[in-house]
Amino acid sequence: MAPVLNLRFIARQITGAKRQSAVFVLCVALSMITLVSLGSFSRSVQSSLLRDAQALHAGDLIIHAHAPLPAPLQAHLDILALQKRLVCARYYEFYSVLRTTSGEGSLLCNLKVVEPGYPFYGRVLLASRRPLSEVLTPGSLVVEQSLLDRLRIHLGDALRVGNATLTVRDVVLQEPDRPVNFFALGPRVFVAAADLGSLGLIGAGSRVEYVTLAKVTQPKELDSLAADLRRVAADSRVRVETYQSADSRVKRFFDNLLFFLNLSGIFTLLLAGFGIQSTLFALLKEQERTIAVMKALGARSRFIIGHFLAVTLALGLAGTAAGLAASFALQGFLPALFRGLIPARVELALSGWAVSEGMLIGFLVVLLFTALPLYRLKEVKPRAIFGKEEAGSFWNRSTWVIAATGSCFFLAMVLVRIRELKTGLFFIFSLVGLVLVAYLLAGAALRYLRTRNPGNLILRQALKGLFRPRSATRSITVTLSAALAVIFTITLVEKNLDASFIDSFPPLAPNVFFIDIQPAQRDGLAGILGTAAQFFPIVRGTVNAVAGQPIDPEQERLSRGDNLAREFNLTYYEKLLPDERISEGKTLFRADWPDQQVSVLDTVLKMHKMKLGDTISFKVQGIPIQARIASVRTRTEGGFTPFFYFVFPKTVLAEAPQTLFCAARIEKGRIAELQNQVVARFPNISVIDLTETAAVFGRIMGRLSVIVRFFTSFSMVAGILIVVSSVFATRYARIQEAVYFTILGARRRFVLAVFAAESLILGITSGVIALGIAQVASLIISRRGLDLEYHPYPVESLLLVLATALLVLCVGLAASLSILRQKPVSFLREQADE
Amino acid sequence: MTILETRGVTKNYWLGNREITVLDAVSLAVAQGEFLVVKGESGSGKSTLLTLLSGLDRPDAGRVLIEETDITDLDEDALAPLRNATFGFVFQSFHLVPSLNARENVMFPAELRGDRGAAGKAEALLTRVGLGERMSSFPHQLSGGEKQRCAICRALINDPRIIFADEPTGNLDSANGAAVLELLLELHRERGTTLIMVTHSPEIALRADRVVTLKDGRIVTDGPRA
Repeated sequence: MAPVLNLRFIARQITGAKRQSAVFVLCVALSMITLVSLGSFSRSVQSSLLRDAQALHAGDLIIHAHAPLPAPLQAHLDILALQKRLVCARYYEFYSVLRTTSGEGSLLCNLKVVEPGYPFYGRVLLASRRPLSEVLTPGSLVVEQSLLDRLRIHLGDALRVGNATLTVRDVVLQEPDRPVNFFALGPRVFVAAADLGSLGLIGAGSRVEYVTLAKVTQPKELDSLAADLRRVAADSRVRVETYQSADSRVKRFFDNLLFFLNLSGIFTLLLAGFGIQSTLFALLKEQERTIAVMKALGARSRFIIGHFLAVTLALGLAGTAAGLAASFALQGFLPALFRGLIPARVELALSGWAVSEGMLIGFLVVLLFTALPLYRLKEVKPRAIFGKEEAGSFWNRSTWVIAATGSCFFLAMVLVRIRELKTGLFFIFSLVGLVLVAYLLAGAALRYLRTRNPGNLILRQALKGLFRPRSATRSITVTLSAALAVIFTITLVEKNLDASFIDSFPPLAPNVFFIDIQPAQRDGLAGILGTAAQFFPIVRGTVNAVAGQPIDPEQERLSRGDNLAREFNLTYYEKLLPDERISEGKTLFRADWPDQQVSVLDTVLKMHKMKLGDTISFKVQGIPIQARIASVRTRTEGGFTPFFYFVFPKTVLAEAPQTLFCAARIEKGRIAELQNQVVARFPNISVIDLTETAAVFGRIMGRLSVIVRFFTSFSMVAGILIVVSSVFATRYARIQEAVYFTILGARRRFVLAVFAAESLILGITSGVIALGIAQVASLIISRRGLDLEYHPYPVESLLLVLATALLVLCVGLAASLSILRQKPVSFLREQADE
Repeated sequence: MTILETRGVTKNYWLGNREITVLDAVSLAVAQGEFLVVKGESGSGKSTLLTLLSGLDRPDAGRVLIEETDITDLDEDALAPLRNATFGFVFQSFHLVPSLNARENVMFPAELRGDRGAAGKAEALLTRVGLGERMSSFPHQLSGGEKQRCAICRALINDPRIIFADEPTGNLDSANGAAVLELLLELHRERGTTLIMVTHSPEIALRADRVVTLKDGRIVTDGPRA
């Protein structure tokens, strides 16, 4: 008869090793908390955004363009409207500077000029609670409260908008198709389409988003109408989308943010998995004598492993339940964390799907990371009763097979989660690389420490303690270093971003941009500025093919970063800008080439494969231009200084319809007054104060980095749990040492100092390794990824290491406190009984 | 001169919900330089008496005096200098620190005092007891006899006035046990150290200056060896 599972044995194993069991449960909980809460959060946001997808887009069909619709497309829409198959409403979105009638105040605002009918779905919520159509009559404005606050005006006051004077009638609280507004550089202003002509703000080359919304009469015709319109729009860069297929900017932002946060969740899962494994190793090591006795009494390995597997699964279940509970609790905190970044109407709730996924992850993680420790139970021999163990090699064929199988499962889990093979593989290789580098550096550091023989007795004992039997010093160092390296890297990159974009501008760099300048306005503007200003001609164009291969806009838009599907600001000049240099090619343009040429910024090479000598086909105002890549430029400085992806010789674009862009260095105190003057004389010119923009950017970056650091800090918790687990695993040895030291005449503070020094050395070692990795990673990310100048921030770096050391010290001491209370005589008595 | 004294010490333990009196009003005085053996059957309270004499435990009643100083109520930090400089301990299970080698184990009490000559003293002691070639070995690399010799060196490095030995030969074979006993006695005679030893062994008792026999927590005999 097969032996039955002994539930009492299982329960006693758990209660007899309470501390290790608790750490195990916490590690399991930690492995899933990030993924479940992020999974639920993502689903909440997606379902809120998609549930009301029609409201999110304010229409069934959405047609985006950067110019008035091509005539054939417009004509086709008119026919469909006449046939009553759809109803259309257009809106125009662009930036412009509004000013008070006194001329004393002006503000860059985000204008939305809307035709009657907008929005077809959802509601623009106004402070008066009246419908938009009733309030937004010709001559009226509906504005965001922040505009009133910043210009110090009230409802009923008038504002100059371009050439027109309009009256503020109401305050907008919410827009259906703009659920969050952190992307905006200025407050929202609604204007009636009837006033568009009088504004005089839209001219040739103006930077305007032309959006045509359509409400279809027969919903089942939606897809066919969309396909029909796309066919008609074929050659142009007009995007025709349905509310189901359209990817809103908000949704794209969240997709990217959550994607990145998911990566940090997987990283935490991996570290927590190591914690699970090391805790179980420690727990089973403590039970070695018990297992040896069981084997001596005739129990088979299968029986023993089965029981401990049951213990593991019971603890795993508890951990999963704890993880789910914590995820639920975290949901309550997420709104505060994401405030301002998520739509107000999002209802956060734990999603059933995310819960099921979380439970599956918890189960798989427990199985994957406990396989090795459980398998090793086979190696325990009955002679372990006498404390006689053979120090056999841990890594034999079976352990390699188990480790490899576990790794493959983990890899598969990651790829399934990330859903992008290339990114998934890149992430895994980076993760493996990080852990490998941490492992090698930890090994070298510990080897060095092992050879040290300091004169100070406390330090010497502390170093010995790091290498006491069963201490997991290496795994603690690797785990902490890897987790900290990620957090340090985020901190250093953020500081460098702040320095480049937010904290200070290079003293002579432009700090104000003027856009949408008509060529005839150049001299007038220069006169107002009264200072050296750079004017750049801007010609709007698109990229249609590279090296003969046509660009597929839909495919391009799938890319997470910038892509060639959009419209570009083309320009022409003959000399490099002060912060540019040539990275490929000899000169900006080749005198020996007869073809039309173009110089591209190295960033373009990241968007699409191309090389020196390739021909790019552009379309400029409907006219095709072919140009050969004569050089590749790179920026020598980051920040908000002007740069252009595509630069042509003057001869190619000089005759093309163009606007001008101006970058000037203006004394900060003069900017507001200058803005008033410019806009009063040239209402169509938008003035962008880069310091304000930098502040907005800085606020967004700050919020995002808080969120990223919050989720990444869970990986630190995994490292801390491993520290705690190791203290518990070496509890017996620590008690033994503490008792012996006491018997030999050491005071309690000596024992405390030794344990403290041990934790401090561990913390400093891990911190230094993490910092080394982070400095290299930050350097690469800043220089190569973000094109920023890199600063190592030595003081801040030192503080990070010290903070780490302090944290590990506190954790190590807290976990050791009960050891210090152990009375020598009780320990000796227990020893004698054995 | 009396170096160590107990006056009516009593010690009780709880086993589950039963209170057991292990020592019952035991009074004992030990002279300086004396070799005292405390013997008795298992459960007679001899190891408990040793822990009370050495300050490792506190009696529930009675007083313990070392060189006429009452140590009964001293806390752990106050007892530390006594343990370091006045006492030496030799245990049945050796109790060497596993992460220190033989030299480092022996040096440790001296280093706690800030003795700069600790290494030299340790090496001299280890060589004296025949462990000159094993100084860099760790406890798990030493045999039982070697471990106990190392423990004796550790007990002696600070020239203690009293050595407490709790069944020092209990875990050794007869040959090693005899060698260890001879070593202890030789060093006791050489240095004039008071040696208080707990043992089952009648043979060892025959070598003592005085034998105290405990039974059921009380002294039943106390006198010179038979």
